[in-house]
Amino acid sequence: MNKNSNMSIFLKGLLLENPVFVLILGTCPTLATTKTVIGAIGMGVAATAVLICSNIVISLLRKLIPDSVRIPCYIVVIASFVTIVEMIIHAFVPTIYELLGVYLPLITVNCIILGRAEMFANKNNVAKSALDGLGMGLGFSIALVAMATLREILGAASFAGISIPFLENYKIKFFVEAPGGFLVYGILIAVVYKLTHGKAPYKKEFSCATCPSAAYCNRGNCQPKEEI
Amino acid sequence: MIKNLKSVISLTVICAVISVLLALTNDLTAPIIKEQETAAVNEALSVVLPGGADFSPIEIDEYELPETITEIYSEKNGGYVFKMQTSGYAANFVLLCGIDKDGVVKGATCISSGETLGVEKDYGDTLKEKTNETIDDVATVSGATKTTAAYKNAVKDALNSFIILNGGSVDLRDEAQILNDNLSAALPEAEGKFSPVFITEDIGDINSVYASDNNTGFVFVIGEQFVATDKDGKVKTETDLKTTVEAAAKAIINSHLNEIDITKYSDMPTQVAKAYKTDSGNYVFELKAAGFGINGDKYYNPSGEYIDIKVSATKDGKIISCLTTAQKETDGIGSACADEKFYSQFGGKTEADYSEIDAISGATITTNGYKTAVSKVFTAIKILEGVS
Repeated sequence: MNKNSNMSIFLKGLLLENPVFVLILGTCPTLATTKTVIGAIGMGVAATAVLICSNIVISLLRKLIPDSVRIPCYIVVIASFVTIVEMIIHAFVPTIYELLGVYLPLITVNCIILGRAEMFANKNNVAKSALDGLGMGLGFSIALVAMATLREILGAASFAGISIPFLENYKIKFFVEAPGGFLVYGILIAVVYKLTHGKAPYKKEFSCATCPSAAYCNRGNCQPKEEI
Repeated sequence: MIKNLKSVISLTVICAVISVLLALTNDLTAPIIKEQETAAVNEALSVVLPGGADFSPIEIDEYELPETITEIYSEKNGGYVFKMQTSGYAANFVLLCGIDKDGVVKGATCISSGETLGVEKDYGDTLKEKTNETIDDVATVSGATKTTAAYKNAVKDALNSFIILNGGSVDLRDEAQILNDNLSAALPEAEGKFSPVFITEDIGDINSVYASDNNTGFVFVIGEQFVATDKDGKVKTETDLKTTVEAAAKAIINSHLNEIDITKYSDMPTQVAKAYKTDSGNYVFELKAAGFGINGDKYYNPSGEYIDIKVSATKDGKIISCLTTAQKETDGIGSACADEKFYSQFGGKTEADYSEIDAISGATITTNGYKTAVSKVFTAIKILEGVS
């Protein structure tokens, strides 16, 4: 499959370049909102919506935004979409709004979104950026739901709020607490690494060329490792 | 320069466009969010005021309300919901109480508490349909007096606030404050600090005497009247009670106690710890009463603490004054033996009408022990006077 085909742009976010398990971005909301599957889905949908919208807008404006003020511009765009999503969720799905609490406005500083704006949307056209946003958003959501499923089943003996009777007496509270989150996260990273053979982190796309600080550092010292 | 200008302009334009987008979304969602929030508040408040609608918070700083009231919501039919914070067994006892337009309690519930017994969960139901006049008919729950008394008082505060909100006025002072205010009015020099004087002389119709803590004088309470004297017993303002008060003041100031060696009297009741005789021939006894935890009727002490009582009486066996000086009875129940309301009942009693004392509700053993100890005063006087 062509590396730049629309399909591959969409699919890479799901596993090969999964933002949570491979790029290790957005770990804070990942740990915080994966206590329950419902919370994870809410967070995933909200972040995906922001990601698609901000990718589209940033891609549209990529030729208009001067390089020197691009980060403030991205932040303004992202923060505004987060606020819009927050207001919509508050108005139409208040239960999710209460469940996500402070993590909803904190999507603003979610590295995945700024990361995709910087790495992808400001270099590609609108359609590709939207697909990238969708793929990355789905990848983020899948990762959250996978973690939340494990944590909720093991820690609270339920799935999406529906209790699992035969596990009722075997709850391991540890998994819904922060340390359990780290453990599950670590195990899933290992599993994904095994599945992808650890290729993704050393791809050229993540090397100097796309580093936000590339212009300010000594490029010669930063070389991508050879692919394994 | 042009590059910088371009940066500024592009950022400004982006911000402006985004602001419009935000404003539009807010326009769309704000009414829905507001509606939801009102619905949530209404739902919570309707629990205590069923049928109430359109609740809106009231600025409580505009009124002089009891301190327990923290929030008030008015309702379109003229009812109110009050949020109260008080302390029962523990602090932070938070209650909600709904009162309809006629001043009737429609519901009361506990939102959060650190109480231990769980009585607060249902006690609110007993206060339903009560008004300012009938709320005192509701009894506190025995064994959880502190919690339920705090609950009831908070609901009373809500009822009082209801009157204030409707333009009425309520005396929010408790008994102790009223007394202190009256005493201060009679003797302003005392700066509001008074202690009751233990009376050892027969001073007629005078109910009680208070001395100012800064030694500036005395206040004599006769019925509804408060008469102040200076520290030498001279009445400060002219009154027809001048002679009575000055005679009483003289008797009190000149009173002197001589201790009696009670070990000389082998049949002296064991409750009598110390006995004194005044120059005028009256007796003062320090008694140890067997309270709760010490078998009430008989006098012995397996475990509990005594109640210390001081009693003065005339030599022909009439109690002048009675005072609880120390007690460790159950807090909120037997501890009422330290209330003036209880011990002042003994004043003026003789052996013949002694049994007319009202017991403390829920504290029979304390009351019995107390009464038994005080009754020994009559025996002791007979022994000391040599009457068989």
